[in-house]
Amino acid sequence: MSSHTRIILVCSGKGGVGKTTLTANLGIALASQGAKTAVLDADFGLRNLDLLLGLENRIVYTAQEVLEESCRLDQALVRHKQESNLSLLPAGNPRMLDWLKPDDMQRIVAMLSEQFAYVLIDCPAGVEDGFKNAVSATKEAIVVTNPEVSAVRDADRVIGLLNTHGVKPVQLVLNRVRPKMIASQDMLSVEDVTDILALPLLGLVLEDEQVIVSTNRGEPLTLNGQSSPAARCYTNIARRIQGEDIPLIDPSKEGSGMRDKFRRLMQTKIF
Amino acid sequence: MKDHLSTKRSIILPPSREADWRKSLITTINQYEKGPIEIDCQDWLMKCRDLIYLNKIIESAGLAITIIKSSNPETVVSATSLGHQAHLTIKSNSNPTKNPENQSPHLNQQSKLLFHQGTLRAGEHLIAEGDVLLLGDVNPGAKISAGGDVMVWGRLRGTAHAGKSGNTAAKITALELRPLQLRIATCIARGPEEKPQPGLAEQANIEGDGIIIQPAKTTPVIENKLL
Repeated sequence: MSSHTRIILVCSGKGGVGKTTLTANLGIALASQGAKTAVLDADFGLRNLDLLLGLENRIVYTAQEVLEESCRLDQALVRHKQESNLSLLPAGNPRMLDWLKPDDMQRIVAMLSEQFAYVLIDCPAGVEDGFKNAVSATKEAIVVTNPEVSAVRDADRVIGLLNTHGVKPVQLVLNRVRPKMIASQDMLSVEDVTDILALPLLGLVLEDEQVIVSTNRGEPLTLNGQSSPAARCYTNIARRIQGEDIPLIDPSKEGSGMRDKFRRLMQTKIF
Repeated sequence: MKDHLSTKRSIILPPSREADWRKSLITTINQYEKGPIEIDCQDWLMKCRDLIYLNKIIESAGLAITIIKSSNPETVVSATSLGHQAHLTIKSNSNPTKNPENQSPHLNQQSKLLFHQGTLRAGEHLIAEGDVLLLGDVNPGAKISAGGDVMVWGRLRGTAHAGKSGNTAAKITALELRPLQLRIATCIARGPEEKPQPGLAEQANIEGDGIIIQPAKTTPVIENKLL
């Protein structure tokens, strides 16, 4: 399995654009589509992938113990409660930043790729050591960005760095898209972003309040086949990663269909 | 001693990497007898302002410039534009092995064209000593700078600096000129606010005090520079 394992780095440059949320949701979605998936939290300084997956209280060992060889990889991996195809390798304590080297990262990923079909690496924000460690271990990458000038600028910088590290292919996910704001030209359009970044678009994720709810609960949206707008987007991205040909949503038509209007009406709180 | 000096009818400035001509000229200017004199500027890059200053020193010592020689084409251009007789000399003993058959040092410099293919992304900086031709875009946040001209076969949306070592004749050309900032020699300008006309290649160059943007011109580069 190891040679066919797809190792995908989820990165963005800027913080808070949705790397961890995307990693968690993609992990769940890929696993529910039957692929054995591992998610690796490479954000050692500010780890919270375990929180989003609702696995925080089940962590016993971390990547640190695995590297020190004080435990086996199987012991450190936390299997998801409902989605048994998904496992999390938690990040160690923030002190690991002091000694972790690209070699260590490569070792962990090599171990994971023996057991899993997909390894998703949640990259830390920024372009410093944490990023460099994560990049050294990956083959391909997904760059997440928001339709904001600063996020696009940082994504551009990261794409340049990924290119110099020879990471290929690099695909783009545009997160937190608000069709209404794009229509009124208050937000960068999808074309504006792809025009600058010049990357193949893997998917759009619509702005969705449910994301906040799911984060706080520790239950990714893609779990249990939820049908909120963002959940559909995440599921589509996962299926595209698996090689299915699913057309991108058109933000200009989003929310205008009869079904969407009805759904909005149902969600509107009258009292 | 005096006889020997009176026969010396030319001033040779020190090579640019050894000493500053402004200082050395002031200390040596009194050795020359009054009258016409020729100046060899060697490889110094002298702009009009420098040449006016040079002329002032020469005249204050009672001398008069007959001809200005230089191995730097830009100095020759500046000198001619000030009305001096100027002559482009072949650079002595620099890279004698390289292109020995090439009679014009100017062509030597011209061949220093840096070609780069690929988009410059935010944070990247492409620096060239001569001219630069980029096949790709310059994204916002990226920089491209050159001693000579900057030519972008793509969209220029970052910062560009042409003539970074002081060449005011340098220009910036792009298929889509929409920069954040433009610099030519020591001139700095913000990019235009409005979008450029699509399908029209534009160039920026110094005119008067500032940088202007106009439709790109197809001036033959080498003839233009040799004058």
